[in-house]
Amino acid sequence: MAAVTTRGINLFLSSVFAGLLLLLPAAAFAVASVPVHEGGQLAWWVWMLALFVFTFLLGIIAVIAGVGGGVLFVPIVSSFFPFHLDFVRGAGLLVALSGALSAGAPLLRKGLANLKLALSMALIGSISSIVGAMVGLAMPEKTVQLLLGLTIMFISFVMYRSKNSAYPKIDEPDALSRALKIYGIYYDEHLKKDINWQIHRTPLGLALFILIGFMAGMFGLGAGFANVPVFNLVLGAPLRVSVATSVFVLSINDTAAAWVYLHKGAVLPLIAVPSIAGMMLGTKIGAKLLTKIHTNMVRRIVIALLAVAGLRALFKGLGI
Amino acid sequence: MKEAVHADRVQLTYASVLGIASTLGMILIAAGYVLYVFELLPSSASAADIAAHWHLRASELHHAVHVPSGWDWTGQLGRGDVLSYVSIIYLSASTIFCLAFIVPAFIREKDQIYTVITILQVCVLVFAATGIISGGH
Repeated sequence: MAAVTTRGINLFLSSVFAGLLLLLPAAAFAVASVPVHEGGQLAWWVWMLALFVFTFLLGIIAVIAGVGGGVLFVPIVSSFFPFHLDFVRGAGLLVALSGALSAGAPLLRKGLANLKLALSMALIGSISSIVGAMVGLAMPEKTVQLLLGLTIMFISFVMYRSKNSAYPKIDEPDALSRALKIYGIYYDEHLKKDINWQIHRTPLGLALFILIGFMAGMFGLGAGFANVPVFNLVLGAPLRVSVATSVFVLSINDTAAAWVYLHKGAVLPLIAVPSIAGMMLGTKIGAKLLTKIHTNMVRRIVIALLAVAGLRALFKGLGI
Repeated sequence: MKEAVHADRVQLTYASVLGIASTLGMILIAAGYVLYVFELLPSSASAADIAAHWHLRASELHHAVHVPSGWDWTGQLGRGDVLSYVSIIYLSASTIFCLAFIVPAFIREKDQIYTVITILQVCVLVFAATGIISGGH
């Protein structure tokens, strides 16, 4: 009886949540359709309030769908709010950075995030992230929109297809990972035992982190969507270690790119702070709802939402 | 099986510094924003001025209104928008503090590879922070 009641409550919550998710783009389109040469008729504080509420909902969705808030923020906010893409990308980096900074300490303490794995990948990733930010801010807006649209659509495809491996089996670690002493042990709460892990294909992983850092800097995206599959599927780190270490890498790479945006004047506290606050609050609520919501359904809707935002950016880039 | 802590000493040092730095960062960000948007202190440009120009590219907005960017806010700490901006600068510098803290820890552990990697990482981030490569002020 209790199980039936719980299932009923979960189903109800999932339906309400799915409805909310479907309303989100509609509400955003309504906000976006206000003829404000770009800001005009609505008071600035109404936009800030809308941004806070919007990022709060994005934060809830991001956790439940298992994606980083940063990757949702840039395509969706740039589609539906009147801010120039420069400021949205600057705010997007800070949203991802603040989330990573606040999540980082407990993950490191538990031994889930691995400092040596992160430092090895972040050094090269942060350099390419700086280059990506400089290229992205120098490009014409339409070109950035076009590339952003293509990238976001690719990300939604990867998210749709990706199948992570909880405990990849590594027969032999490669020479570079041995030299860099990248291996570890963590306590798995699901299996209730210690798990030893090591990695392989380190040179390939390093090459991929150059690309990921570049994209993160160029588009102001938190790059968890790409870090996790590379750690997990390419390098062979366990999924929990991959997710936790990705947060740590993100804090370094996004710091590097954020400084370029700060020096180019592409960070407005007026836009960045409500975004950070909304996303962080939403993430906390999302974490509490995580066990009560049908995550697969939410994840599918988020992937669809991301694809729509990507398509919208693509059309903007093409001038349609 | 009882949960054991498998993080090494350097990692725990980083976690401690990061925990303090991120909590302080959130407090500073909230305080700076309140001072700014409620106009408790004078600002270089009002929120309404910025809203009238936020559809422009960053370079164009900076020609139209004066808002802090890079390091050009030093000497204007009495302004609300500057304090809000400084809180973001602090957040962006947090990772550099944390990494700088673990360099001595790696040296104590006689871990030459990660001493070098961490020093190089700090140099990359400090280099980005100076604004030399991004044409900052």
